[in-house]
Amino acid sequence: MITISKFYYQPSEHELEKASNSYLMSLIAIMGGLPLPIINLIATFIFYLGNMKGTYFVRWHCIQALLSQLFLLPFNSLGFWWTISIIFTPETITSNYIAYLITIFIFNLTEFIGTIYTAIVTRKGQHIEWWVIGGLTNLICKDK
Amino acid sequence: MKKILIELVLTVAMMAAVWFGLSQVDWMKLLNIEQTTRDTEEKIGDLFWKMLKSSETEMTSDSIKAPVDSMLTRICTANSIERKKVKLHLLRKDEINAFALPNNHLVVYSGLIAACENEAELYGVIGHELAHMEKNHVMNKLIKEVGLSVLISMTTGNGNADVIKEALKHLSSTAYDRSMETEADLTATDYLMKAGIDPESFANFLYRLANETNNLPSQIYWISTHPESKERAEKIIAQIKGKSFPKAEAKDSLRFERLKERMK
Repeated sequence: MITISKFYYQPSEHELEKASNSYLMSLIAIMGGLPLPIINLIATFIFYLGNMKGTYFVRWHCIQALLSQLFLLPFNSLGFWWTISIIFTPETITSNYIAYLITIFIFNLTEFIGTIYTAIVTRKGQHIEWWVIGGLTNLICKDK
Repeated sequence: MKKILIELVLTVAMMAAVWFGLSQVDWMKLLNIEQTTRDTEEKIGDLFWKMLKSSETEMTSDSIKAPVDSMLTRICTANSIERKKVKLHLLRKDEINAFALPNNHLVVYSGLIAACENEAELYGVIGHELAHMEKNHVMNKLIKEVGLSVLISMTTGNGNADVIKEALKHLSSTAYDRSMETEADLTATDYLMKAGIDPESFANFLYRLANETNNLPSQIYWISTHPESKERAEKIIAQIKGKSFPKAEAKDSLRFERLKERMK
C-alpha cells in the first residue's frame, strides 16, 4: 500500500520537518474534525496554502497529506449526513448503517496509522508514496 | 494515469466489499439495538399512559369500548397488523382528539367519536393513528422534538413530571411534520380500502372539520394539530379516484349511532 524510496534530491533538515508537519497537521485536526469531517481537510488545506511556495519536497508531501484527507471526505460526509438523517428524520438505524460506520472507521483508522507512520518516516528523510494518493500527487505536483 | 485509475477503482471496490461483507451481519440483533429500542419505547409509552390516565376519565364499559375495539380489529385483521399489540383507550373528554403514544397506545377522546357523522369517519381516524404507529412516527417525533437523552432519562426514572407532561403534550396536541401526516393519511387510505371501507368519508371528515375550525378552534385538536386538512382530503380523494367500495352495513351504522349516543 505504500512505497518507500529516496527522493531524487536530499531534502534539508528544515524541509523534512515541514513535510512531516503536514501529516501531523492533519492528525491534530482530526481531534477537532471527528464530528465534522470537513475540518481536517480545511486544516490541511490551510497548511498547504502556507507552504505553496515551499520546496518541491515540502509541497509534494503537503499535497499527499491533503489528498489523503480529500479521499476520505466523501465517505465520511456520507456517514455524517446519514447519522444526521437518523437523528432528525424518520430514517432509522439499520445493520447497513452500522456496517457502513464500521467500514469508514476501519479506513479512517488505516489512514490515521498510515499518517503517523508517514510523518515519522518522512522526518527521517525517507520518501513515502501512498497507494493511489502517491500517483495522484505525482500528477499534480511538479518540480518547478 | 491508468495505474492510478486502477488503484482508485480497486480501493473503492475494496471499501464496497468490506461494507457489503459487514452488512451481512445482523448488527441490530448482535448489538441488541432492537430490543433496547423496544424496551425504551415500552417504558415511555407506559409512563405517558399512566400520566394521562391519572388526569383523565377512561371509559371502560363494554358497551362503549366493544364497538370501537371491533373497528380497530377490522382494520388490523385486514392489514395483517397484530391486534394484540395495540392498546385502545377511550377517554371522556369534549376535545375532538385522538393520538398515538409510544408502545402502541391508541387514545381516542369521546369528543372525536361524537364529531364523527358515521362509522367510516372514525375508521379513518383510527387508521390514521394506526399508520403513525406502524410507520414508527411516534418515537421519531419524540426523539426529534424532545431529544433522545431526555427520553432515556425518563425511562431511568430521572425525568421529572413537568418534562414528561411536556413530552406528552407534544404527542397529543402538536402536529407531525407534513411528510409524516401525508404518509399516515395515504397509509390509512390503504388500510381502509383493504378493509372494504370507503375512504371518502375520512376525506369528508377532514374537510368538514377544517371548515368548522374557525368556529370552535380550541375544541378541535385533531384538526388543528393536522394542518392543511383540505389539501390532505384532496390527496385522499385523488388516491381513491375510480375505485368503488361496498356500502356500509346497516347494523354497523346502527351500532355507531348507539355509540355516539353514549358519548353525550
